[in-house]
Amino acid sequence: MITVEDTRVIGEARVLAGLDQNLQQHLLTHGPLPELSREDYVRLCEAVGLRGRGGAAFPVALKLQDLPARGVEAVVVNGSESEPVSRKDRLLLTRAPHLVLDGAVGLAHALRAPHVLIAVHDTAAATSLRQALMERDDHLAIEVLDTPGRFVAGEARAVLSALEGGVAVPPGRRVLPTRKGYHQRPTFLSNVETFAQLAVLARLGSRGFSSTGLISEPGTQLLTVDGAVRRPGVIETPTGVPLNTVLEYAGAEPGPVLLGGYHGRWLAQTDGVLLQRPEVSAGIVLALGSSTCPLGEVTRVAEWLRGQSAGQCGPCVFGLASLVDDFARLTVGDPQGWHDAHRHLGLIPGRGACAHPDGTARFLTSALEVFDDDVQLHLTGRGCGRPVLGVLGGTR
Amino acid sequence: MNKLEIDWTRCDGHGLCAGLAPDEVLLDEWGFPVLRGREITAGELPDARRAVLACPALALRLSSR
Repeated sequence: MITVEDTRVIGEARVLAGLDQNLQQHLLTHGPLPELSREDYVRLCEAVGLRGRGGAAFPVALKLQDLPARGVEAVVVNGSESEPVSRKDRLLLTRAPHLVLDGAVGLAHALRAPHVLIAVHDTAAATSLRQALMERDDHLAIEVLDTPGRFVAGEARAVLSALEGGVAVPPGRRVLPTRKGYHQRPTFLSNVETFAQLAVLARLGSRGFSSTGLISEPGTQLLTVDGAVRRPGVIETPTGVPLNTVLEYAGAEPGPVLLGGYHGRWLAQTDGVLLQRPEVSAGIVLALGSSTCPLGEVTRVAEWLRGQSAGQCGPCVFGLASLVDDFARLTVGDPQGWHDAHRHLGLIPGRGACAHPDGTARFLTSALEVFDDDVQLHLTGRGCGRPVLGVLGGTR
Repeated sequence: MNKLEIDWTRCDGHGLCAGLAPDEVLLDEWGFPVLRGREITAGELPDARRAVLACPALALRLSSR
């Protein structure tokens, strides 16, 4: 379990500079927020190749350009951090609320959007935001709203549905929030960290922002490191930092690493891997270590993911249930479980209203590849002799 | 350019589409449609339209893009 107190920085602190500050201290640390136009924001985001930090890593400049010239209804901060191990958004909301608000408010003024909506599902985050709002005068309708905590409820369109008072599930038709978002009106929606980065970018300008990180995507990123590590927590690093550096920094046990959270991919080896989008997704790095049963851990997460399905789409409901069953049979040495798992993994992707089945299949497919040795041991019927320690979390 | 599309939140796996447009729709082991994802040719269009109209859940549609 990570507490928000465990924060560290490799290199220069930007979004984690000046935590737990009131408005005055915040402005002393970061300086005043410049008033920028919509064109300024597009130009800045294009220059530094800023990508959304919620997992999909969509270029922010493209999202801005997709909005119509007039009539943008709302700027929505998606703070419903639904990945169970991720802590970075909650950390920003509870300890750097002014930076997130700066990003959202600055952009809302530039887009002439009358509303700023912040979706959270954590009491501490909501309290911190409301306290921060008491200190500010932004001349906008800013609302902090509690949304439900289910995994798929964090999906952008599910969040919009919840904000409008509906059920927090992804709708069946694929529409873009930039065209039909909040109340069917054009909406800019992004992840909490994206707005914090925007607030930093607006102040530093593209040149200052690009003083660290990769050439293709300069700046810093927040990572949540957890699992078999001595010092779990949220780390701010330059983009493109080697995975091994982060693992060493966190005191990780040697072993396989899951990159990108429960919808991410297992890595067989960590040498030469650089942490950048889209692979790093929402910035989650989970070390497995070597004293736990990989197949057991994966099955445990698969069970959790099955429970998190919104239950709307047949292939997700039946497919994930079948996969959990396949993996359970595989773990006790039934070769038919292995065959069924491969068949079901091919059957599920692309057949749902959201990416939950796709992400789950990606996670399990990479597990079967990377843990092939362990799978073979289990197929002998004797298992691998290691207990399932639950290092991947997932019981929240 | 016509393609069949499924609104997965509506589909309940009635399976009529697979009977009416067998060239484009198969059923998986749970009875839910698997689309081949090809373009619907002019000759297949009547079958595809019939499948769309027959869907009791209004989950199937023909998109033209």
